[in-house]
Amino acid sequence: MKNKKMIISMILVLVLTIGLFAGCGKEDEATNESTTDVSDTTSEEVETTDTKETTTDSNQTTLKWAVWDIASTTYYQPLIDVYEAKNPDVKIEMVDLGSQDYMTVLGTQLSGSDTDLDIVTIKDIPGYVNLVAKNVLEPVNTSDIDLSGYGGITDQIKVDDTLYALPFRSDFWVIFYNKTVFDNAGVSYPTNDMTFEEYDALAREISDDTLGSEVYGSHYHVWRSAVQLFGILDGQHSIVDGNYDFLKPYYDMVVAQQEDMIAQDYATLKTSNLHYSGAFAQGNIGMMNMGSWFIPTLIEKIQTGEYTEISEGGNGNWGLVKYPHAQGVEPGSTLATITSLSVTAASKNKEIATDFMQFVCGAEGAEVVAATGTFPAIKTDAVVDMIASKEGFPSDEASAEALRTSNTYLEMPIHQKSAEIEVILNDGHDYIMTGTMTVDEGINYMNEEVGKILN
Amino acid sequence: MQIANKKIKLSRIILYLSLIFISIIMLVPFIWMLSASLKLDKDVFTVPIQWIPTHPRWQNYVDIWSKIPLAIFVKNTFKLTIIVTLLQVLTSSFAAYAFAKLEFKFKRILFLGYIGTIAVPWHVYMVPQFIMMRSFNLNDTHLAIIFLQAFSAFGVFLMRQFYMSIPDELCEAARIDGMSEYQIYAKIMLPLSKPALSTLVIFTFVNTWNDFLGPLIYLTTQEKKTIQIGLRMFIGQYSSEYGLIMAASVISLIPVLIVFLALQRYFVEGIAATGIKG
Amino acid sequence: MKKTQLRIRRETRNNLVAYSFIAPNLIGFCIFTLGPILFAFALAFMSWDGNNPIEFVGLDNFLALKEDTRFKAAFINTIVYAVTTVPLTLGAALGLAIILNQKVKGRDIFRTIGFFPYVASLVAVAAVWNMIFSPGAGVVNVLLTHLGVARENLPKWAADPDWAMFTVVLFSVWKSMGYYMVIYLAGLQGIPSDLYEAGSIDGANALQKFWYITVPQLRPTTFFVVIMLTINCFKVYDLIYMITQGGPGTSTLVLVYHIYQTAFVTGSNYGYASAISMVLFLMVLLVTVIQFKGERKYANS
Repeated sequence: MKNKKMIISMILVLVLTIGLFAGCGKEDEATNESTTDVSDTTSEEVETTDTKETTTDSNQTTLKWAVWDIASTTYYQPLIDVYEAKNPDVKIEMVDLGSQDYMTVLGTQLSGSDTDLDIVTIKDIPGYVNLVAKNVLEPVNTSDIDLSGYGGITDQIKVDDTLYALPFRSDFWVIFYNKTVFDNAGVSYPTNDMTFEEYDALAREISDDTLGSEVYGSHYHVWRSAVQLFGILDGQHSIVDGNYDFLKPYYDMVVAQQEDMIAQDYATLKTSNLHYSGAFAQGNIGMMNMGSWFIPTLIEKIQTGEYTEISEGGNGNWGLVKYPHAQGVEPGSTLATITSLSVTAASKNKEIATDFMQFVCGAEGAEVVAATGTFPAIKTDAVVDMIASKEGFPSDEASAEALRTSNTYLEMPIHQKSAEIEVILNDGHDYIMTGTMTVDEGINYMNEEVGKILN
Repeated sequence: MQIANKKIKLSRIILYLSLIFISIIMLVPFIWMLSASLKLDKDVFTVPIQWIPTHPRWQNYVDIWSKIPLAIFVKNTFKLTIIVTLLQVLTSSFAAYAFAKLEFKFKRILFLGYIGTIAVPWHVYMVPQFIMMRSFNLNDTHLAIIFLQAFSAFGVFLMRQFYMSIPDELCEAARIDGMSEYQIYAKIMLPLSKPALSTLVIFTFVNTWNDFLGPLIYLTTQEKKTIQIGLRMFIGQYSSEYGLIMAASVISLIPVLIVFLALQRYFVEGIAATGIKG
Repeated sequence: MKKTQLRIRRETRNNLVAYSFIAPNLIGFCIFTLGPILFAFALAFMSWDGNNPIEFVGLDNFLALKEDTRFKAAFINTIVYAVTTVPLTLGAALGLAIILNQKVKGRDIFRTIGFFPYVASLVAVAAVWNMIFSPGAGVVNVLLTHLGVARENLPKWAADPDWAMFTVVLFSVWKSMGYYMVIYLAGLQGIPSDLYEAGSIDGANALQKFWYITVPQLRPTTFFVVIMLTINCFKVYDLIYMITQGGPGTSTLVLVYHIYQTAFVTGSNYGYASAISMVLFLMVLLVTVIQFKGERKYANS
């Protein structure tokens, strides 16, 4: 009798909890409806679209687009707006997977070959190689696309002669320099035609190691690409070669600069979380090599008054020059990083998704992207002029000229083992820059370990 | 007498001194968080550290609510945390009683199996679990997170250990008196295990509140995301906003501390109230 | 005959009752956790990337472990990490708990402070730790300079292969001792005060009371703490990611970090990642079983 009572009350508890779950599910829908309104009105920065309202209208298709950093990216919404205006029965819904672990989350979302993502943004080459190997990306039908506008990049991202993505952004590396620092040191600005020796000498001229008011001639962000990729600019080597002796002169230069306090200490930078944007904004760095994606950020933060040390009365005091080059190499040879779009193999709206992809990566999309100050993959003269004449961009001729590149090389080429090689190269960079190994020892380490992977 | 007093005073002083010293060590990150939360990102990592910002940027505490939908994230995190905590505590203490005080078939193996699974890092089965959840149509739902967190072996393990320290004689006496197991659980074990229960509540609360990987993988719709995901949104591909991250972290710390302070007294509850020796 | 029938019926009823207690937790656990885990273990004998068909490869994954230098480094690092972190954290937690169990003014506040590092966001806490141990102008190195250590000899802490593990261990102890302090506090509440009174009457001093009363009474709690500490040490990932990212080189690469890289960075090699996890699991199981045997001996004594 007492037992029965207990059992009944237990069953009641179970039923209650199950009821809670069911309520949960429904509650989700309800909260989604109401919160969308709230978020729309309170935040201009957060451009979230409507919730899962798939085909309510029998003609309307909703495409899901995987992206990152919706709030801080200026060109997503304009692209969507233009496309939706032209195609009223298509709605594009962005899904923000966050930029920190983007490829991990994307890989998980695409696993099991049953996803509701139609079109995905590809963040880096090693991730791209993995996704292709998993057969989750739809090959691009290149028969009716004009690939010449991409300057040969599409050839560099073919796997087994098949193209799985189209680039829509193409950034390249330049030298950002702080005019005030050069003025204070009485040194003339860097030029668009510097050899590495000249670059090194210039950095040393403007440096000052007085305690408390240090000035750093150069700044290398902790990514290995900031140093290692100097070596591929002559087009003779690739970073997946297996032999890295060609990196020696560049590592020698940078390590020497670090020891002589021309550049900030790598170990300190690595363990602090000082972002390169913050470092440059502190106003005590003469030159910094970084990608062109930094330009819109720089312009915006100066305009909002956040970066006061590198501006005067709201006008930036910075400029751009082309990457330094080795003797005999054409000026304007630099590294390129691309962001691409791809249609998922599991998409149920492949035709429309492909159409959207071709729009974003084509000439029309390029204009929309360029209008926000970002470099599209199709980089015509008109695009470069548009960006150079944007408000906030340095007004001097040299900076505009710096945007014209001659030869561009992908940071990491397509290779089956690119992700594994990346790990070794990162370790090697760590060892050399922290002083754990000498430059020669570090290069030997990379030669050995990558050799093992390649065999 | 006087010498004895002096001795006591000395040991007291040492005690307080070491407590204060330890507290300072513990509090340093919190002080840094507060200080950083009032700075612009570029000033957060200046060398040397500026403990007191020259221009405190109170604006940060306003910006965090508008730059990301923090209010929604807080609501979501509360909802998930409370539900998971309730479920965990209920089902775990229930199951733990059986493991601690009852004899039944397969008890040892089951318990070992439970503990064994705690040892498996989540990354290992994350993908099969995700695919399974998606096939249940639970992708991008709060329910998925609840199911993942509410039935953990950890809670069972913790409660079982505490129950083990309650003497068997109590239960035996109750059985002889004719009480059913359910009554023993409700009337004897539950009241005695307040310290353990509050410990479990705190841990589950903190774990769910700070959980990052689960929501990251499962919650893709903006309105469903949690505070931890929101914090990461301040580290973009091309910039970072550590001032805002710290401001949001300070805010997110408050509910946890309240819960902890509230449950404090259950730790203090002495054995006197439970009358075990009797 | 009737007696055995009665006994069997009573046993079955007892089993049923017991299972009814376990059921809510067990069912949810089996579906959502146990199922995927078993599948993941089966994967150790397969090759799968999440999308292409699953292929059976037998023991190939395990044989590959022998050649994997990163695995060997991770294996050793994980053991080193666990062996140092567990006793240190345990000691610190127990010490803190005992101190904070005394009648001290403002005890609640001190306890909350002790719990702080565990609760605060990992991002914040790791950033602070890195600042304190910054090779350039971190507090620690500044102190060392004042004590006369030359600039070239200053360790680079998290960026130094020789000191990275030390830095990480210290961080781990500091961050989690509040957590285990709370567990010990709860455990200490369960010790009857008459035991201490009896001890005083017998003339025992503080140290003797600690050794002969507190420690034995805390056995179940210590058992729990040691197992959880060990498991958490073997499972560590987030912490390492925040402080050193597994580096420099492989000096702080631990097993879960290697698993994560195998499964999500260098290619979706879930089968191989599962094989590594099996090794991890067996290691933890070994430690747990030893602990269990120890507990049974205690319970029977």
